[in-house]
Amino acid sequence: MNPSQIVKVARREYLTRVRSKAFIIMTVLIPLLMGGYIFVMPLLFTSSGTDELRIAVLDAGTGLAPALGGHLAAIERPRVEVAEQAAVPDDSEAVRRPYTDDILAGRLDGYLVLTPDPVIGARSRYYARETGNPVVLRDLERAIEATLLDRLVAGTGVDTERVRAWQRFDLDAVTVSDEGETEGGFEAAFFSTFALAMLLYMAVLINGQGMAMAIVEEKSSRLIEVILGAVTATEFMAGKILGVLGSGLTQLGIWVGALLVGLLYAAPMLALGPELADFDLGAVLSLELIVYFSIFFALGYFLYSVFFAAIAATCTSTEELGQTMFAAVLPMVVALMSTFYVIANPGTTATRVLSLLPPFTPLVMLARVNVLTPPFWEIWLGIVLLALGIVAAGWLAAKIFRYALLMHGKRPTLPELMSVIRAG
Amino acid sequence: MPTAALRCEDLVKTFAGTTAVDGLNLTVPAGAIFGLLGPNGSGKTSTIRTGLGLYVPDGGHVELLGSRDPLAVRHRVGYLPEERGLYAKMKVAEQLTFLAAIRGLDQAEAARRAHAWLDRVGLADKAGSDTGDLSKGMQQKVQFAAAVIHEPDLIVLDEPFTGLDPINTRLLKDLILEQRERGATVVLSTHLMEQVEALCESICLIHRGRPVLDGVVAEIRAGYGRNTVAVEYEGDGAGPLTALPGVRRGEDTGQEARLELDAGTDPQAVIRAVVERVAIRSVRLEHPSLEDIYLERVGASPSPAAEDAS
Repeated sequence: MNPSQIVKVARREYLTRVRSKAFIIMTVLIPLLMGGYIFVMPLLFTSSGTDELRIAVLDAGTGLAPALGGHLAAIERPRVEVAEQAAVPDDSEAVRRPYTDDILAGRLDGYLVLTPDPVIGARSRYYARETGNPVVLRDLERAIEATLLDRLVAGTGVDTERVRAWQRFDLDAVTVSDEGETEGGFEAAFFSTFALAMLLYMAVLINGQGMAMAIVEEKSSRLIEVILGAVTATEFMAGKILGVLGSGLTQLGIWVGALLVGLLYAAPMLALGPELADFDLGAVLSLELIVYFSIFFALGYFLYSVFFAAIAATCTSTEELGQTMFAAVLPMVVALMSTFYVIANPGTTATRVLSLLPPFTPLVMLARVNVLTPPFWEIWLGIVLLALGIVAAGWLAAKIFRYALLMHGKRPTLPELMSVIRAG
Repeated sequence: MPTAALRCEDLVKTFAGTTAVDGLNLTVPAGAIFGLLGPNGSGKTSTIRTGLGLYVPDGGHVELLGSRDPLAVRHRVGYLPEERGLYAKMKVAEQLTFLAAIRGLDQAEAARRAHAWLDRVGLADKAGSDTGDLSKGMQQKVQFAAAVIHEPDLIVLDEPFTGLDPINTRLLKDLILEQRERGATVVLSTHLMEQVEALCESICLIHRGRPVLDGVVAEIRAGYGRNTVAVEYEGDGAGPLTALPGVRRGEDTGQEARLELDAGTDPQAVIRAVVERVAIRSVRLEHPSLEDIYLERVGASPSPAAEDAS
């Protein structure tokens, strides 16, 4: 293997990719979409869109309507105006008809119907033209809940506010490790692990796919014959993977940069509310985690790129590639799905074994590092095994590559590939 | 420099039970233009790929530029594969530079030669264009440049003339001769017999994975003797001239005829018979053309081997 040949192949691959329209569009579009999602969605969900809601309350025998009126009046944004309070015999269609007409005529935004319930006191339905706004529904629900609660505790001497505080009870989990104590339990661990896992998964999928397509194109255009007359199959594959890795890292770098700029400037301007202000990035992402993530990202990326390259080499058309490519990401999908189990059971034998199998190590070991911090030697055993796995997979893939790249028209069969591998 | 640029001994290459190359012995003398001929599916491309180390032989061995390991001398070889391909999304000059660089030239030298070659093949103004935007003929010239840009000792051209107009065919011929002048060995695989006759000193004709004829072109033709009557004539005789007695085979277009004679037939007798039939503009007694020999050796029947086994 000649490193300078690898560099030349990688350089070409990198420059071609970085200059391609697809790369530029993806690089710009993804942060825009993500930014849109992160910044715009909360805005949509915290504002209701309307300023005032005119509703009627129809009480079919619960007697709760006046008390509910008080709680509804306390709602801000949108302010709720109770236009009418009426006692009705039941909630039949005929009874509701005039109010439905009011909605259709625009005189009302909606109406609530209260019917008696033996256990909790009342059931309620909200009829309206627009029922899709979660903020409005949540506010109405809370008002009814408060009314029911008032009636429940009435005369017992229990303070409603205390009951409500009790309702909000939450168990705080603290992770204890050699490094000290970390706030946050399953949720924090799950979401941060899942986010990192998805990042790796996406990076592998998008770049691996791109590389696989490029290999099949080179193969079908027979350019491969000229190139393999100049560089070895191993050099070619290594150069390809490095070039794609380089372009992937460039893209990731631009995205991380954009994210930091976004967080620095956009977040304060948008005043994202207390939930986001309280969110402590440092608590979820430790320096240790970032270091391990980088290692597992790079190694995992390498391993899966080798899988993609080997599979692409055996395909004769992009259609065929499309049908086969899932095989390359299958282990990663399995690893991704096992994340639930791993985070819940970071110390079991099954998890420990899984985290030491190279195709699963990047995600599973990363999840374990995030949740529990396994023994130092175990993490590094995982890293060493992963590195060995890459060497072994690379060696195998290079053989398949050399044999399969020049075959056209038909795919090599599994027995053929086995004999190539055995032939040395 | 060894006396043979490429030597194949008892070479065997099989694909899933199909034998593409069947115990082939072949010697390409150094410093000459060598024609590798044969019908579709005869094993030419397999022979070339095995010879260049792209395939591992299933039997026999290859000696490329004096080396038993073809891959060890890969940078001294230039190859233009039959089926063309370039990076469509890459600029022409960058592409040539890349292809020169992976053959061991440093980046600056590769770029300098890339531009010199684009100038030489009349594509200097296309240096900055995407390769995919070039016409087929232009791309073919770029690929030829890519095959010779690193000044290899052995150049293998598989059907280099396909799809070229007469001007570019002439240009390519000149460029091939130029490479020979430089001292390179050129292996030319083509179906165009006029090109072979015009360019090649020696040939090897492969049929069904085996050589059926090889040697120096002039000697091969001379070995057949002057047994072909070439006639240019006017007016139509009574039926085609190929029907004359003593004519083994031939072709008659109505204005020109080439008549290959049976062994033992007196050419003078055939010429007299022709004179009686038609008004002659010219008549010559010739060696058979390579095409005649090709047809005789391979037979006019199509090869049973599939196209993709070539």
